[in-house]
Amino acid sequence: MPSRVFEEIVLPHLDAAFNYARWLTRNDADAEDVIQDACVRAVRFFPSLRDDDARGWLFAIVRNTWYSRLSRRAGAAEALPLDSRTDEPADSALDPEARLLQQFAVARVREALEQLPVDFREVLVLREIEGMSYKEIAAIVRVPIGTVMSRLARARDRLSAVLKPPSLSMERVP
Amino acid sequence: MNCDEVTRDLDAFVDRELAADAVAPIRHHLGACASCRQRVTDREALGRLVRSVPYYDAPELLCARVSGQVQRTRSGRRLVTWAAAAVLVLSVGGGISLVRSAATRSDAAIDDVVNGHVRSLMAEHLFDIRSTDQHTVKPWFLGKLDFSPPVVDLASVGFPLVGGRLDYVAGRPVAALVYQRQKHTINVFVCPASNATTTLRARAVRGFHVHHWMRDGMSFWAVSDLNDVELMEFVRALQTI
Repeated sequence: MPSRVFEEIVLPHLDAAFNYARWLTRNDADAEDVIQDACVRAVRFFPSLRDDDARGWLFAIVRNTWYSRLSRRAGAAEALPLDSRTDEPADSALDPEARLLQQFAVARVREALEQLPVDFREVLVLREIEGMSYKEIAAIVRVPIGTVMSRLARARDRLSAVLKPPSLSMERVP
Repeated sequence: MNCDEVTRDLDAFVDRELAADAVAPIRHHLGACASCRQRVTDREALGRLVRSVPYYDAPELLCARVSGQVQRTRSGRRLVTWAAAAVLVLSVGGGISLVRSAATRSDAAIDDVVNGHVRSLMAEHLFDIRSTDQHTVKPWFLGKLDFSPPVVDLASVGFPLVGGRLDYVAGRPVAALVYQRQKHTINVFVCPASNATTTLRARAVRGFHVHHWMRDGMSFWAVSDLNDVELMEFVRALQTI
């Protein structure tokens, strides 16, 4: 198997895969384990990568790896978020007060997103953070495109209900 | 079209996933309905909020472990587990703080790169030198930078060079090369790097795809809203020059 090619085609997406795994698992340790196992599988399955969408292909493997680990833990609750990230990036152009407010908002959004059921969480991450199309998401999550759309709609409804006061009411249409 | 029908297609509309003939009636309705307009605005605001959460980069140690794994698979050698573990234990203590600060630095650079890309499109200040000829663009940087960026036209593989300009990344002047793929603009930022060569890293930032790699003592960032598959094709073409 041409491993050089694997390194050039698949490894560039490692950060994205980790970010996805981190949102699935909600903690660093599990995300790292998932990525390591997923990469072992990815090397093995590499000859089956038909098209050029290495990112979607790797994400699907990450997702399968995560779910098979979950089912091995049979009934164990999802690991609690082990929060080690306090260094939220802030926009340095803002004054100190606005920066504090922004950090507060970011922390709240992250928390709200983490509290969503995993099915909702992952479509939001794939759509908003990875910028994937419905078709790409459908291929990874293995549901019809219509389901991606309705899941996104429900996820956003839930998220905005949680976040409603006050961060969303700031922008008004004239 | 009524409000219920708009609600049904609201997310696909905001996500630009609707066919053109389905978009027009929604736009028409939005022109007359303030509450549906408000819901579109709320959805867009929510999207911006979600995109503001931190991006979790793969820790350096994990990257190293994974590429080690791949190489071991290639050579077919067995894992010398305890030796690897010993090295890991030795390097963990001293490594963490370095890794952190490096991650922060690269985050700042990625932000600059995306901002530079957005600014170049919005302010319509895409070019200081507008030319499809690499032999015109390359000498233009002479005397404006303390290094000479590699400039190649990739028109033969469908990514024509259209110009260049000066920009700033992480507080230093860099060369920005502008390429075109149909209606999409690709900005390539180039500056000297301390590391000779690193593997390619790709990520999405605020809806843009960013690829970063180092080669021959130069650091490269390619940024575009082009889909990831085609951008990867572009990056590979640029790397094999």
